[in-house]
Amino acid sequence: MLFAGLDIGSTMTKAVIVDGNEKILAALVGPTGAEHRHLAFQVMDETVRKAGLSFEALDFIVATGYGRINVPFADKQVTEITCHARGIRAIFPGTRIIIDIGGQDSKGIKLNDAGTVANFVMNDKCAAGTGRFLEVISETLGIRLSDLALISAEAEGFVKISNMCTVFAEHEVTSRLAEGARIAEIVAGLHEAIAGRVVNMVRHLGIEKDVVVTGGPAKNAGLVKAIADKVGLPVWVPPEPFITGALGAALLGKGFAKRNATRNQTRRMESVTFFA
Amino acid sequence: MEQREQQGKTAAVKGTDMARKVRGMVKNIYQSAHEAKQAGGKVAYSMIMSQYDEILRAMDIVPLPTENFAGVCAAKRQMDRFLLQAEADGYSQSLCSYARIGLGFDSLRKEGSGIPDNSPDGGMAMPDMMLGSSSVCDPRYKWFQAAGRFLDVPRYNVDVVSPPIRANLEDTRDYYIRYQKEQFRGLIAFLEKQTGRKMSDDRLWESIRLCDEAWRLWYEIDRLRVAVPSPMPSQDHFSIMAAAHYYAGTQIAVDFYQGLYDEVKYKAANKNGVVPDEKYRILYGAGLPPWHTLWIFNYFESFGAVFVIENVYRAYDPVEVPSSVQDPVEYLAWRTFLRVTQWHEKASARSGNPYVEKLLEMAADYKTDGVVFHACRSCRASTLGQTHIKNLLGRYTDIPMMQLTSDMVDLRDYSESQWKAQIGAFIEALAARKRG
Amino acid sequence: MTAGAKLDELYKNRGVRAKELHNAGAIVIGYFCCFVPDEIITAFDMVPYRIQGSQSEPIDEADAFLEPMACPFVRSCFNMALKGSYDFLDGFVAPHSCDTIERIYGIWSHHRPSPFNHMINVPHMQGPSSEAFYRSELDYFIKSLEDWSGRKLENGKLIKAVSLYNERRKVLRELYDLRKSDPPLVSGTEILKALVAGMGIPGAEHLALLRRYVAHVKERPKPRKDKTPRIFIWGSEIDDAAFIQLVEECGAQAVMDDLCTTTRSFWEEVPETTDPVEGIARRYLATHCPRNDVPQKECSRISDLEQRYGYIKKFIKDWAVDGAIFYIVRYCDTCELEGPDLREYLNSLDIPVLMIEDDYSISTIGQLRTRIQAFLEMIG
Repeated sequence: MLFAGLDIGSTMTKAVIVDGNEKILAALVGPTGAEHRHLAFQVMDETVRKAGLSFEALDFIVATGYGRINVPFADKQVTEITCHARGIRAIFPGTRIIIDIGGQDSKGIKLNDAGTVANFVMNDKCAAGTGRFLEVISETLGIRLSDLALISAEAEGFVKISNMCTVFAEHEVTSRLAEGARIAEIVAGLHEAIAGRVVNMVRHLGIEKDVVVTGGPAKNAGLVKAIADKVGLPVWVPPEPFITGALGAALLGKGFAKRNATRNQTRRMESVTFFA
Repeated sequence: MEQREQQGKTAAVKGTDMARKVRGMVKNIYQSAHEAKQAGGKVAYSMIMSQYDEILRAMDIVPLPTENFAGVCAAKRQMDRFLLQAEADGYSQSLCSYARIGLGFDSLRKEGSGIPDNSPDGGMAMPDMMLGSSSVCDPRYKWFQAAGRFLDVPRYNVDVVSPPIRANLEDTRDYYIRYQKEQFRGLIAFLEKQTGRKMSDDRLWESIRLCDEAWRLWYEIDRLRVAVPSPMPSQDHFSIMAAAHYYAGTQIAVDFYQGLYDEVKYKAANKNGVVPDEKYRILYGAGLPPWHTLWIFNYFESFGAVFVIENVYRAYDPVEVPSSVQDPVEYLAWRTFLRVTQWHEKASARSGNPYVEKLLEMAADYKTDGVVFHACRSCRASTLGQTHIKNLLGRYTDIPMMQLTSDMVDLRDYSESQWKAQIGAFIEALAARKRG
Repeated sequence: MTAGAKLDELYKNRGVRAKELHNAGAIVIGYFCCFVPDEIITAFDMVPYRIQGSQSEPIDEADAFLEPMACPFVRSCFNMALKGSYDFLDGFVAPHSCDTIERIYGIWSHHRPSPFNHMINVPHMQGPSSEAFYRSELDYFIKSLEDWSGRKLENGKLIKAVSLYNERRKVLRELYDLRKSDPPLVSGTEILKALVAGMGIPGAEHLALLRRYVAHVKERPKPRKDKTPRIFIWGSEIDDAAFIQLVEECGAQAVMDDLCTTTRSFWEEVPETTDPVEGIARRYLATHCPRNDVPQKECSRISDLEQRYGYIKKFIKDWAVDGAIFYIVRYCDTCELEGPDLREYLNSLDIPVLMIEDDYSISTIGQLRTRIQAFLEMIG
């Protein structure tokens, strides 16, 4: 039995194929930015080929993420909240809190004893506390996103960034630079600000261990450290934080197939239509 | 990791000696509540401008103005943990930030079974009751309702009504005053039950006398401020208003304003101005002050621009209650009605808006060169209508006007660089107009 | 045309019937919220028109006159007024429901005055003195309307209007009863449309349509039982079906609601007193809007919440609700303070709650989809 999960996020599309033993056969990450949307299905296609399989061999395909609604080749669509919960549970079985920082939104998910979603929170239509915030500000600073962690590691303190509005924060960063603040401490301040925003949102759920941070920005060790400091507990990061949603989708697919959920009779390997 | 000290300061340099004494008076509000609790007295969460101040004084109830506490937190830049706590509890970031701070404080107190460590001015004592009102805005009664989640104390809210602008006062006066009186009577009955004591009419009259006297002196002080150069700036106003509101109905307020009156009179007579070279006189048109960044007034002063008068906190001039009114509660109801309808007649005759009439009179009396408004993202009551007032004012005066936006306490809504750019442009407009 | 199709048409083309009546010489009185009695306006032989916004039109012109931190529902209504959508109103009546409505009255009546403009002060408190005051305000409203129109309010006509609207309330409750079955015979989307359709037409016309509609719904074949979660919707001004439709599309049945465009505006009847204004005052003052302060009976959190939300407990039980979704219009301070309290109460009844704050705009509704769907996956 073979199951696929496809997580179409606002900036990246992620695909995972697992077998009946929940072993990952292939995983792939590709872009979904505005100009790459039509490519979402290619990511699926390449993943299938990478696994040396044919598309027809897949028993169940679950789509998730922002672009999940109109996926012509998926059997079912499930929100990324449920998928992350399932994916993380497979990697870290004792997880109680998941902090997912996405490109366009952030989420906090609380799991119950059974490892399913007990409650969740999402940030509010605003770049603050998301990967986008880091992208914008790192551009202002002329730093590559991937360098943020290294740079912040040099900081001895941090400069407080009080504005969480991305536009205001950009101004603020510029003024702090003009006042002579060190870049390392500004970057540390940014991590501090995002961590504050995200952790505060998640506090609403009642934080218990184990805490897992996932999503693309979880690759930034500086940010993860700032989150851990705020949480006051050690936090875990999956080896491949990008793909936990897709993995969860694939694993949920196995469950659906077991329960004989209705399959999409007209699966077509075609472009995904995004809703407005 | 340690936070780097931010450059610059937040508090403003004051113009008068008396204003510098206010810090201690404000601190004492919280101190005396703690003391009252220890001595077995009653403490009430309260809202200023609820028109009930004298009733509380007459019954020896110590008022704890929860909104002021939020302002204190902001002035000391210690608001974040309270705001964040309230937001984690489910209160939206667009909700009144005073309420968020208060709810956050009470939530933390409940969570930690005691006043949060290092709370500004020692924090707010546990109240015995919460007394909100519908005066000024909606959160001022809803907040205490919501605070029941964290505080197991009784609440009592009163309506404070004011007739709509086009209402005929002859048709409405009687039933407005009747309702107001009944609302106060209800409050008194509640307080008598809480304290187990009857209110004395004599003590209420005495408290009213003191309150009216303080407000009369405050009015006289503001009249002195027409002087050029300005003897007392708006940053002082935002301090000294504490006496009239947080010490309403006490001798302390009367003494304070007597001292301030003497000082301002001296300064005016000796042409002792706020800045050596007063170039522009600014009217603070509307909006709660930016408690988080009061030094901004000094920033204006660095361009020779002084805020000389403001249309906030001293919300009414003294009024004349008919001498036929013999009952102190009825007096309070009458005074409320007269206060809130003070500008109705003038507004009906011209702009249709009482604030516009008041501002026009101020602009003329105080010879102001410009008007500045402060819009607060989380305050509907003090913000909505500012643009309308600004538009209307523009029909009767050509002085430059500007609206700055942030919040009364939430620093996340404030952008220093944006403000400085806006202020720079405004000063240029003032200069251009002066050149003619 | 079936009654359902007619209601749908009225929902889509709001204002058309009122405009038609206005052009034929009728006096149309526009008003905000749930505090201006339809009965009084109807008894004057005038047409009550509940002012609505548009969740699909962007707010542009209003920003020059009204700050963006105002309730977006009010901004939207005002934006429409500026564009002339409400020029057909002969009267504009704003109750003092909240800070924003109170403030918009002066701004609106300055920029787009109707021939008749009036504000009704509504007490925030409840109790005998508040009722007496509100009654005086209604008397003053009646007097103002008499002075302006030259008509005299007849007691008999007011009594008749009270029974007309009570009859409409009864038929609407009957319609709501048809949501009790599992699955319900009528969807939340359909209900909202039927209600909004009635906000701009004479009460008698709406009543006649509703009677036909209810009869028609009753004849629908009984659908097969399913496991779809049954959702209770709470909030304020939802006058566009898009949100409820989204909830239903995500795989739920919206079976009950407490919104000012739905139950809050009609559920309880006006007591039929000999002095009709007295009964009207009592009924309208008790409207379940978060802007009202229900007094404490005793100092206890449980009793306070019970006092305020006891009526919702009945909704939850009788309509077999599985979960609740709050739709809070941003910048509504009273709803934002109410939300966490009601959530606490519903959680105590084991009802999970999803609290959403939104901008009264369907342009961002897609972003709500994930939240709603995840909530349904969670409780499902």
